[in-house]
Amino acid sequence: MQATSLRNPVQQIRMIMRDPLLAIVLLVMIFFVIVAILLPLLAMIGASVSPEGIPVFSEYLTSHVYLEIIRNTLVLGAVIGTTGTAVGFLMAFVQVKLDVPFKRFMHIVSLVPVISPPFALATATIVLFGRNGSISRGLFGVRYDIYGLDGLAIVMTLSFFTISYLNLRGMMLALDPALDEAATNLGANKWRIFRTVTLPMLMPGIASSFLLLFVEAIADLGNPLVMAGNYEVLATRIYVTIIGLYDTTGAAVLSVILLVPSLSVFIVQRYWISRMSVVSVTGKPSGTPQTIDHPFVKWSLFGLAMGICLLIVLIYGTIVHGAFVTVPGVRWDWTLDHFDFVINGIGSQAMRDTTTLSVIATPIAGLVGMVIAFLVVRKEFFGRSALDFGTMLGIAVPGTIIGIGYILMFNTPVSINLPLLGDIDLIPKLTGGRAVFGGALAIVLVYVVRSTPAALRSGTAALSQIDPSIEEASISLGADSARTFRRITLPLIRPAFLAGLIYAFARSMTTISAIIFLTTPQTKIMTQQILNEVENGRYGNAFAYCVILIGIVMVAISVLYFLVGSTTGTEQRIEGGL
Amino acid sequence: MRKFFHHIPLTLIILSMLLLVIAPVSAQEDTLTVLCTPQEDWCVEMTAAFEAETGIQTNYVRLSSGESLARIRASQEDPEFSVWWGGPADAFIAAKEEGLLDQYESPNAEIIPDQYKDADGYWTGVYVGALGFCSNVDILDELGVDAPTSWADLLAPELEGFVAMAHPATSGTAFTTFWTNVTLAADALEAEEEGTGYDEDGAPTQAAVDAAFEYFAQLNNNILQYTRSGSAPGTLAGQGEIAVAIIFSHDCVKLQEEGFEGILTTTFPEEGTGYEIGGMGIIANGPEPEAARMWYDWTLTAAAQEIGATVNSLQLPTNPDAAISDLAVNLSEINVVDYNFAAAGASRNEIVERFDAEIATAPTE
Repeated sequence: MQATSLRNPVQQIRMIMRDPLLAIVLLVMIFFVIVAILLPLLAMIGASVSPEGIPVFSEYLTSHVYLEIIRNTLVLGAVIGTTGTAVGFLMAFVQVKLDVPFKRFMHIVSLVPVISPPFALATATIVLFGRNGSISRGLFGVRYDIYGLDGLAIVMTLSFFTISYLNLRGMMLALDPALDEAATNLGANKWRIFRTVTLPMLMPGIASSFLLLFVEAIADLGNPLVMAGNYEVLATRIYVTIIGLYDTTGAAVLSVILLVPSLSVFIVQRYWISRMSVVSVTGKPSGTPQTIDHPFVKWSLFGLAMGICLLIVLIYGTIVHGAFVTVPGVRWDWTLDHFDFVINGIGSQAMRDTTTLSVIATPIAGLVGMVIAFLVVRKEFFGRSALDFGTMLGIAVPGTIIGIGYILMFNTPVSINLPLLGDIDLIPKLTGGRAVFGGALAIVLVYVVRSTPAALRSGTAALSQIDPSIEEASISLGADSARTFRRITLPLIRPAFLAGLIYAFARSMTTISAIIFLTTPQTKIMTQQILNEVENGRYGNAFAYCVILIGIVMVAISVLYFLVGSTTGTEQRIEGGL
Repeated sequence: MRKFFHHIPLTLIILSMLLLVIAPVSAQEDTLTVLCTPQEDWCVEMTAAFEAETGIQTNYVRLSSGESLARIRASQEDPEFSVWWGGPADAFIAAKEEGLLDQYESPNAEIIPDQYKDADGYWTGVYVGALGFCSNVDILDELGVDAPTSWADLLAPELEGFVAMAHPATSGTAFTTFWTNVTLAADALEAEEEGTGYDEDGAPTQAAVDAAFEYFAQLNNNILQYTRSGSAPGTLAGQGEIAVAIIFSHDCVKLQEEGFEGILTTTFPEEGTGYEIGGMGIIANGPEPEAARMWYDWTLTAAAQEIGATVNSLQLPTNPDAAISDLAVNLSEINVVDYNFAAAGASRNEIVERFDAEIATAPTE
């Protein structure tokens, strides 16, 4: 990072105290990280290292069944990290560096999987490519056993590559074409430019998307529940340990085992990224990116990208189509029963609740992410990396673990005993029956915790590309931190902010693992309803839920684009250029 | 929008203050919170009917039985639910042993046969269901085999990769399947030589358990996958992914009623099949104990037990006066094993672990 620390902590604190607003914001952020992330996590770890938990550790780590599960989990994470990043890179590269038709179409299709309701992609893929799939069996007459690592790789890559696409596309757009021009003038060919200029500049983005995808993959519950077959992973095993064996200690131990690869990958990536960070020296790129003209390279990349897009269209088409037929994959008679079931039946409250809570969580997550990114990249204070690390735990820690942690931590009010005043509730009861707002507050908190890291990452990536001297100039001209953040930083990183908001809303609407233990009688969440329908084999109802959920997210994204995006000159130029 | 950005720090401060000061919403009178384990639409109908009958505003949360138990345990100090309705009895037996249930001798429980309720009054059965084979007739035709009518039929080489059951670790259905075979093996051993099938307490012997493991090791050749949810194999069969699913027969009938009619067919093993009891219990120290007891009494009535059939939940009522749907499977018409719930519960963990290690270990890719 560019802000090399030369001052000692005391001086740093003095610097920050000169700007009281900054100090308050910083304290609020620290408070947020401690309460919403660290405390539940510690509660969880505490449960696993209890006297009952220790022997379970040695039992699991010597059993070949569990070692196999751990191996499966790591393989899955590595596979999805690689394929997801590769696909994301391909789509971003085609978008920014190639002059080909249908780019707008491909861009939109690449964004669609950000809204992948759990189970939807997997279920639709089974309908299409399963042992009795409409395509695999119907067209080719093959009974393809899709359950297992191969099916998971397809479904999870398609579900998650958008994270890396958005990340890398944002960075590629931010690359200064002047560098390419300079390299060309110095005699480098396109391949050499790609290898020695583009790729190194994008390395932090590639690394961070691998990180996000790896952790995402090993934490994912929805896809493995439907698609894994006998390929068991830790996330499903944890779920199963609670659902089937009624064993919370075992689940806590497995959670800690899952936490180890999540966190170590995360830490390794962080130090790697920070070592190889390359900073572009201008605020925003000037000129248009150079395109790749070599016909073979151009059209084979285009074909690949188009193939992926068509697959996504096919799968989402199956979801939409399936919502209107009696039994998707089996009976194709037209019906509206599924929508009737969701809209007028059980689903109406879930629709309302889920949307409301996501709408509340989205701006909070986006802003918290940007503010922390700003603090971490631009300010010097003791514990700066701890703040970043703490926030990132929200995604580095698998959802199931967060959920269990919340139950353990917030099922009773957190209180302190003060002399004279007696017990004072610091934090009211957030989960379970008679929790504040029927448990809705805990769900919003989880949504924020789960979405903030993506906003923080895209904010950090964007800020790292922008020279701090622009902000320093603002400060020199007399603006305070808040004004500088508002007038200089935020407009510069607006695409990252928008990406953060979109991700936060879509993520909140589609998350299942973190909230599965937090729903209460008063608060119903759509993803859990979808799980019920899938479990009961009512794919039609599940697809109808998914279609409605996708519709809600689409509307929200349009609103966000309208409010946040497309208003700066840069954005308009980029949009116009496509 | 620009205005909004001016107030970012202020907004954040206010929001975080909000986290601290909001007072808990006080519980309302005349309400009831039901923890509901059967299928969602049944939960909806039951709570709506109860609300109409009593005027008590009734909420429910639908959770699987394992999750329910974990949730009740986690909120033991300050229970969030008043009454737990539905789900396999072994979960209720476990809850009773952990002191999570309140004893309640409902006047309406008298009519329920003794084998369907707890002797100490901690839980009462609200429905019964039998295991069966749920087969896709088209796929069976293709493979050239008839719908299985015995456990041995499932071992046919034609069915390789075309059978599915749930995993006993995650599913009460699958555990019932396993224990049924333990019981059948015990009966067979007992028939050969007295004392070899059952021990003096009436629990199946280790030899019987070993024999069952042998059977499932053979069956493993034909199993495509062990699903997590008990009813999921039925969906696989409906979708044509497999030919035969081992599930509760009422789940198969429900699938038939909801789109798979003519595709799925239900058969039973002649040598005997297992069954489940759906339990109900009052959560210890739960809120709204009065309303919980009213619910308890009401769900044992014939009228309340007939609601399931209206949403295609065709488990059998435990109340002998309740009408049985034409679609439901009458236990008296099929061969049912003498299922020892206590012994099953006691050996559950051991069996599940051994199943994991010996049978269902995931094959390497």
